[in-house]
Amino acid sequence: MSRKAAYSLTAAVTLFFAVFFIYPAVMVLKEAFYEEGKGLTFSFVIEVFKNPVYTEGLWNAFALGVSSTVVSLVISFPLALIGHRYLFPFKKSLSALILIPLVLPPFVGAVGVKQILGINGALNACLAKVGLMDPALPVDWLGDGRFWGVVIMNALHLYPILYMNIAASLSNIDPAMEQAAQNLGCPPWRRLMRITFPLTTPGIFAGGAIVFIWSFTELGVPLVFDYTRVAPVQVYDGIKDLGSNPFPFALVAIMLVVSTLVFMASKAVLGRSKLGTAPRPKGKNVEVRPKGGKAWLCTLFFLGVFFIASLPHAGVVVLSLAQDWYASILPEAWTTAHYQEALSHPLVVPSIQNSLFYASMATLVDLILGIAIAWVIVRSTIRGRAFLDALVMLPLAVPGLVMAFGYLALSQDGEAFRFLVQGAKEDPTWLLVVAYAVRRLPYVVRSAVAGLQQSNLALEEAARSLGATPARTLRRVSLPLLGPNLIAGGILAFAFAMLEVSDSLILAQQSEHFPITKAIYSLIGMLGNGYELASALGVWAMVFLGISIIGAVILGGKKGGLFRM
Amino acid sequence: MEEIRADGITKRFGNVTALKNVSLKIASGELFFLLGGSGCGKTTLLRCIAGLETPTEGRVFFGDRDVTGLPTHKREAAMVFQSYALWPHMTVGQNIAFGLEERKVEKKEIQRRVEEALKMVKLDGFAKRGVDQMSGGQQQRVSLARALVVRPKCLLLDEPLSNLDAQLRLEMRSEIRRIVKENDLTGIYVTHDQAEALSMADRMAVMDEGGIAQVGPPEEIYRQPISSYVAGFIGETNLLKGTVREGRQVETPNGVLTATPSVEGFQPIPGSSVILSIRPEAVEIVNPAEGSLVGRIIGRIYLGSLIQYSVGLDDGTVMQVTEQNPQIIRSPGDNLIGLRVSTEDVTLLER
Repeated sequence: MSRKAAYSLTAAVTLFFAVFFIYPAVMVLKEAFYEEGKGLTFSFVIEVFKNPVYTEGLWNAFALGVSSTVVSLVISFPLALIGHRYLFPFKKSLSALILIPLVLPPFVGAVGVKQILGINGALNACLAKVGLMDPALPVDWLGDGRFWGVVIMNALHLYPILYMNIAASLSNIDPAMEQAAQNLGCPPWRRLMRITFPLTTPGIFAGGAIVFIWSFTELGVPLVFDYTRVAPVQVYDGIKDLGSNPFPFALVAIMLVVSTLVFMASKAVLGRSKLGTAPRPKGKNVEVRPKGGKAWLCTLFFLGVFFIASLPHAGVVVLSLAQDWYASILPEAWTTAHYQEALSHPLVVPSIQNSLFYASMATLVDLILGIAIAWVIVRSTIRGRAFLDALVMLPLAVPGLVMAFGYLALSQDGEAFRFLVQGAKEDPTWLLVVAYAVRRLPYVVRSAVAGLQQSNLALEEAARSLGATPARTLRRVSLPLLGPNLIAGGILAFAFAMLEVSDSLILAQQSEHFPITKAIYSLIGMLGNGYELASALGVWAMVFLGISIIGAVILGGKKGGLFRM
Repeated sequence: MEEIRADGITKRFGNVTALKNVSLKIASGELFFLLGGSGCGKTTLLRCIAGLETPTEGRVFFGDRDVTGLPTHKREAAMVFQSYALWPHMTVGQNIAFGLEERKVEKKEIQRRVEEALKMVKLDGFAKRGVDQMSGGQQQRVSLARALVVRPKCLLLDEPLSNLDAQLRLEMRSEIRRIVKENDLTGIYVTHDQAEALSMADRMAVMDEGGIAQVGPPEEIYRQPISSYVAGFIGETNLLKGTVREGRQVETPNGVLTATPSVEGFQPIPGSSVILSIRPEAVEIVNPAEGSLVGRIIGRIYLGSLIQYSVGLDDGTVMQVTEQNPQIIRSPGDNLIGLRVSTEDVTLLER
């Protein structure tokens, strides 16, 4: 491609990013650090740190982030290690299966966790039945603060990110590194601690940073758990009086700063880590087939992790089919009435239509931008390539809550994005599409870059030499070759857009514009059978997403590629 | 310093047989080479000896010890890997100290021995350096030092020089040989580079398709290859087909040559078909009348210190002939030339 086209594409993408990504983030900072008539001020932020409710919320959010990351690591590291070392029955399908929880909507799962671990939940009923617990004195597993409920849900949702990163790191290690240690007398357990673990730190930091930022700013799960003493929920609750109250902005700004610091710290660690000495042929990793029952133990472990990770959502499915599920292991009677009732509820069908539309449009925007960006990154030789590459990955580091707040501030009367909100009804469609698109762009760019790097430039040159114009070469040769990667990245972007919570809860104000996530949240808050209706809608959402992820895994590029920064 | 013995080693990976009933005896203090093309099983054999693979059948002995079931670190055989396998998260000193730490050697002693090992590979003062600050040749030395510092009885080297440039490779050859000999080690060295094997080995084994084709000192393998595979793998050679007439006379389509059997005691049976191996540098270009073979020059490659001619014989066979320090440079053309080879340079191989 010509340098001119590359430069103009870079400029266009940078402009898009400046307007729809950096500007909203800066807007949040401005609201937090700027006071009318006074100029720059730190008083809001200082005020936040003086307020015991806000400091507790921030501290809890931070603790949630750290705990969720640690629990995710505890789940994902053994998985990645066993997957790297051993060959066991059904390995291929199991490796795909354990990625699925990533696209199961976590705040829907939270309903299931409550149903199972709550005081009158299935676990207690089960314990009472086998006589391990006195039914009169039930154990409150989730505790007062619901803290561990949120951690469990976050970890069960996000561990695949760490798993993919660690697996990628492991496959980069020269097997001779471990063999050398073995040869010098290092027993297996010490070898793991002294050699393997340190060498996987790039993957742990890359994945851990994303998991931390994600759970640190997670809004949906704490909301469902009614865990209000956490910063994202406090921010959300503060929206109602946003005009007069600058503190939500200050809170969001603090979260943005913490996330950015964590992101930069992980980048710095990655920059310093050495992936081995100079590139040279390394030994092939040979997966060992453990003898006898041990191979089946590996299978069982993978299956067990998947079972536990999908248990919350299984609970949701059961709940959606239950006539009444209270203090028993399984419901006593089953019904499909909730599905029928849900479909007739005024919130449900429009929300499905809305979500499908928002998510498809966002995916389309991502695909167009993603192809263009990947093209510049892989095929051009211009100087700004590395910068562009880093820029488009930034949305992974910036919390959805921050962006949602920036968009909210910018869509008020007289602000820059007002034009995206049309009519008296304040239709947020295009606002949501752009907000969804910006934060899902990294997935599409990564997969398109991977696809372009794999495909041979000579194939394109051959088409050009036979007289095809650049545009026709793109359409007839490059895009068909890129197809599987684009579909995989697009499906992931689509799935995450469908699951989006922060933007959806904050930007969609009128019920006719609600996406699925906000509709589910509204249903949960309803008296009567709100939970069952929410579950039924949640199951519908999961069906869509399940189909998407299976497609993405089948068509997908290398595991790990999509979540590497 | 220990004798190493492999006894009927067979190694199968699934359906693939990498080693077929291989037996070898390596004398204590010997620098022994395993040489062969890729996929011949040489690395697998080394890894079986190192204890990084378990043979499917057969046993490995170090001295009198049967080490077949012994884990790698109890064999006192240190390995140097092709990729060096230096741990990037440790400094040079930490890399070298690793094996001593695992052996619970005292701290002071570790420091002393690390310095000693660095001196041995001529890297004194580099202990604090990061691994990635070292050049390829230096990394190679570090990985040698890391193996030597635990004072193994045997040193196992898996293509240690294949990642270095030509100049460094020459330097390291004598360096490695010196280190093995100074430390009284039994060394096994795997390579696909025949020059490395010929110049460094006490003895060597040429491997082919999971078996051993020939074992012997370098000069014996070069001058008396046992099969056309060995002859072709070690150095360049011309292979001519022929039929035994009587004694050592072999009739080829281009004339009768007198040959020397490759193995002592090999008595060619008159009428049997055989192959003759003639090294290009053993052939002398003479007048047509004086040569045992005649042909025409059809091509030449000038290499400075030597020149290589392709000579077409009457039946179309092309022979390679090299001349050291060439005085006259001949041109391809229709003039007949003669080729003379002395009897001991024509090796008779069984077909």
